[in-house]
Amino acid sequence: MADDEQDDQKEYRWETGYEKTWEAIKEDDDGLLDGAIAEIIQKAKRKRQADKTKQNRLGMMRHMFIVLDCSESMSVPDLKPTRLLCTLKLLEIFIEEFFDQNPISQLGIIALKAKRAEKITELTGTSRVHLKALAGLANVSLTSEPSLQNGLDLALKTLKVVPSHASREIVIIMGSLTTCDPVDINLTIDELKRERIRCSVISLSAEIHICRYLTQQTMGTFGAVLDDAHYRDQLLSQVDPPPAAKTQDNSLIRMGFPHSKNEVEGKDAPLSMCMCHIENIDEPSELSTTGHHCPQCNSKYCELPVECQCCGLTLVSAPHLARSYHHLFPVPNFEEMPYESVPPAAPDCGSLRKCYGCIKVLSPVTDKSVFKCGYCKQFFCIDCDIFVHETLHACVGCNTIPGVAGLVYQKQGGKAASKAAGNMQQQQQQHQQQQAQMQLPSTSKQRSQFNM
Amino acid sequence: MEIPDVAASKEAEASIDLLAIVLDTNPSQQIVRQNPQNLTQILEAVIAFGNAHLMQKAQNKLAVLSCSHYTTEFLFPLPGRHVELRQIDGQYEAFSLVEKTVKQQLGSILMNAPRLSAPCESLLAGSMSMALCYISRLQRNVPAGVKMHSRILVLTGSNECASQYMTYMNVFFTAQKLGIVVDTCALDKTLSLLQQGCDITNGQFLKVNQLDGLLQYLLWVFLPSPQMRHKLVLPPTPKVDYRASCFCHRELIDIGYVCSVCLSVFCKYSPICTTCHTIFKTPGPLPVKPKKKKKTDKQI
Repeated sequence: MADDEQDDQKEYRWETGYEKTWEAIKEDDDGLLDGAIAEIIQKAKRKRQADKTKQNRLGMMRHMFIVLDCSESMSVPDLKPTRLLCTLKLLEIFIEEFFDQNPISQLGIIALKAKRAEKITELTGTSRVHLKALAGLANVSLTSEPSLQNGLDLALKTLKVVPSHASREIVIIMGSLTTCDPVDINLTIDELKRERIRCSVISLSAEIHICRYLTQQTMGTFGAVLDDAHYRDQLLSQVDPPPAAKTQDNSLIRMGFPHSKNEVEGKDAPLSMCMCHIENIDEPSELSTTGHHCPQCNSKYCELPVECQCCGLTLVSAPHLARSYHHLFPVPNFEEMPYESVPPAAPDCGSLRKCYGCIKVLSPVTDKSVFKCGYCKQFFCIDCDIFVHETLHACVGCNTIPGVAGLVYQKQGGKAASKAAGNMQQQQQQHQQQQAQMQLPSTSKQRSQFNM
Repeated sequence: MEIPDVAASKEAEASIDLLAIVLDTNPSQQIVRQNPQNLTQILEAVIAFGNAHLMQKAQNKLAVLSCSHYTTEFLFPLPGRHVELRQIDGQYEAFSLVEKTVKQQLGSILMNAPRLSAPCESLLAGSMSMALCYISRLQRNVPAGVKMHSRILVLTGSNECASQYMTYMNVFFTAQKLGIVVDTCALDKTLSLLQQGCDITNGQFLKVNQLDGLLQYLLWVFLPSPQMRHKLVLPPTPKVDYRASCFCHRELIDIGYVCSVCLSVFCKYSPICTTCHTIFKTPGPLPVKPKKKKKTDKQI
């Protein structure tokens, strides 16, 4: 958080020195710009990668409200076709990505219409509900001003009752430069601060003092968008779970792991209805034999994860939990090396330099820099570097070469986490255990603990 | 009536099917140890199957990876290596190229292999991640307007190892995200992790009962593209068990406790997480008995 505050102190772009941006682009010997442009793109990709903060304690169970401005200012066509339509399109991507990366989290949407706040969707864990609601927002009439305070109050009312071990967040998308509030907004900000709800603001027009103040007080982030690509980046940066608040309560959460009853005593399961659609008039519940049964009260659901409507138990499946592990054990950043450092292949293979992951033949023009994993010492092209860190979350080299102990850094992640807990004795014990495990990976207890 | 057919066939022409075969060539597999001839037979079947895939459409692409006990290497294609191509027995050159490269490359891998003193696991999850890297590169370079359908077929007779659980899961979720189908052909034992992966990515899992008929199994079950499969009667998918096993006793549980910081699963309430050493807030209705605490200390 200290870094953030330093960032906030930095001067505005128009206050900095004069930049000669065109000087970064240089022609190569043939008078072509390809190499230079590829380099700039590479740098931008790498920068985004390096900016990702490494945290061991994250708020994994997130409850987030998106507060969306639906006032007159959202009809401005500076983002194409209009601010609102552009936002809705990006939110669709965001919601898909959010539930993909945070499977046991919940999301809700609030719209600020004509000085009122309206809850479009309740906090739920299924993306379908939100996507449907978003489609309905496209034709909403954009009039009058928004009220930031009403929106915050509405979100606060719902988030107050969320259990304290979850991380609670509000993301505000503001198009308007003004807000029309019933009373002093500072009271709401103080309350949000007290409740430790993290508020982030993405402004589509310009930096607004009250929004900046709100994000500073609640440890959130503030961003004003430059264009739609920058907007997308800003929005998608909210997908990664934030560091857990130091004051956040930790607890063990009771969860159910349903198993589908396909056969009961050799017979097919009886036809039954699912609880999730039972009160839904548009899509009525269908009689079927498949489904996930709550182990506590035996009510049936057709999709996971879900909170049981009868007994309140959170129902998940093991892969849902596994999907979140990569946030806790990220692949360490690769080291940037010059092209010449890649060892060429044997002469019978043409002495080519290849990327270890995708066997692309590296060329000295477009692959000026290559990337080396510090653990397995293999070289990767820029695209594989980005792919490994952003999508795959596992180093190809470390996982294909035995003896590298592919999960070394994951163990280190665990070690660092234990450091955070500040239990030195246990840590030493664990350290010794790990050393023993490294010699005997097949019998390692630590490695097999993810067996589900 | 004919118009949609024409449109469909045009669409089919504009799409590329990429098949990446991950072949387990670890000599410590049960079937290879029993009879080393089996590996040759599997290899012949895979080459014939790969060629059958290439034969279906001129645009189809093939990649073969070998996952042996010490390394993962591409068997086909091999950029930079030039194999002299001449028509032999009237066979299409592309087919003989596949056969020649795969056999040569696998031969050199086996010749250079270090001696194996004890049976060791195959790092299949890693090999699959390499296949994903390759597929994602080809997908990035596909010209606009052309669709590419990719899938990975894993052929293995090894046991699966829990140590690769995280990599497996990362691979499955990446495949699901990129729309890549993971098929598995188990030659020896039923593999529950790969079964989960097939279920997640809508792939087909098949355990081969008779190795003699391997090619027939491959051609019947895995040759049709995933879009076509729902029209066929294929072996039914067994129900996959997605229950979690607790970190403390490794038993499958119905109801468990999950740490809010590191998402470890426990079957009983304990005041300290054994994975990340977080101290939990004691909930009201559950009094913590000192006896339980002792139990967890032992496990640390």
